[in-house]
Amino acid sequence: MLASEIHFPKDLAEALELIRRPGILVFAGGTGILREQGGRGISLPGEVLFVREIPELRRTSLTERFLEIGAAVTLSELIELGETALPPLLAEAARGIGTTALRNLATIGGNVASRERFMDCWPALACLDGLVEFRDRGGATWMNANRLLGEDGKPAIPEGGLITRLRVPIERWDAYLLRKVGPSDFPAPETAVFAFAARAEKGILAEARIAFAGETALRSRSLESSMIGRGLPLSAREAATIAEGYKSLSAPLPEGLALQFGVLVEGALGLLSR
Amino acid sequence: MTVSFILNGEDVSANVRSIDRLSDILRDVFGLVGLRSDCRCGRCGRCFVFLDGRLVPSCIVPAFSVRGREIITIEGFAQTEEYRDIAEGFKAAGVETCGFCEAPKILALADLLERTSRPSPREILAQISAVPCRCTDPDAIVKAAQAVIERRARRIYRRAGQ
Repeated sequence: MLASEIHFPKDLAEALELIRRPGILVFAGGTGILREQGGRGISLPGEVLFVREIPELRRTSLTERFLEIGAAVTLSELIELGETALPPLLAEAARGIGTTALRNLATIGGNVASRERFMDCWPALACLDGLVEFRDRGGATWMNANRLLGEDGKPAIPEGGLITRLRVPIERWDAYLLRKVGPSDFPAPETAVFAFAARAEKGILAEARIAFAGETALRSRSLESSMIGRGLPLSAREAATIAEGYKSLSAPLPEGLALQFGVLVEGALGLLSR
Repeated sequence: MTVSFILNGEDVSANVRSIDRLSDILRDVFGLVGLRSDCRCGRCGRCFVFLDGRLVPSCIVPAFSVRGREIITIEGFAQTEEYRDIAEGFKAAGVETCGFCEAPKILALADLLERTSRPSPREILAQISAVPCRCTDPDAIVKAAQAVIERRARRIYRRAGQ
């Protein structure tokens, strides 16, 4: 095991200089990296960029319109923002991750940055139209969380930049549901998170969003659009038609996950049928 | 590299490599064997320490990352009144934990009580589940935790009255 050179940038500008180095690993909480390594020593690449202490990445701010979260804010700190600041869907997603001790280390940026699989916060962020800020020396780019979903259903995280902030719109949601399926302490192929959020205006469904993600993710704008404009409560027939559409969408999933997804879709539609 | 930090209230330094886990440094360099480094993936809880006042599994904390930070191990926590509340509360409730999980369960409970003065049985069970050892009946732990809460409240009340 070779020793790595650890960089401790004092601010974001210094981090953005360092991140240009080829092969450098961005390290904040490190839970995603170290939980996979069971040996005595830690295996890290030749250069590591330790970003946890960068002040700009540790800040949160709340306005009337959105909550902005620094990428190195831990999941515990996120939960502690409380229900007045944190959308319940995102709070539930964060609470479902590991133990308190693990959440004290794991960061929201790390949760979003995983290239191997979607972690627990993505479905909530996708439903809430969350934005993720990527920065490099050229400037900042805000990407909708939904754009982190590649055409193959896998995470599509841009290369070369640093995730610096997340922005979550503060909006009213009349119904929401978040459920984690499969093994929950360690991400496994059968682990996935289902998120649903809906809003009504004058008895009409104005917004409905469903995202499901584990190793791959599902989100269908066309199915969501097909729900919008329907009167509430949904009739049993309407709910069955929509559920059938989602059943087709889940065809690429392993059978067990597809079944669970179907049950969760029915549960979400049940919230609109009462 | 040399990493300086506060360990159980004292300023210390250690030469660490990028491959070193905090749990190994605490045991091997500082001789703090009250924590164990068994699973090395943050799962068993036996390596719990407080890092800047927050409970963390030290086996998944790289030693290089603690520079300038404060660490309290079970050895340091054992010098506090909060520890005595928990140890005596466990004893009063007749809870006998095994040698593997006693220290992490005490730290986990202390962490919960730091954040929530009167946690529900559900919150207590969720917190204690971070130490997945089956040596003790979970219901007994909940009763013990409630005894700890009462003991702690009495102590704080007495102090306020003085």
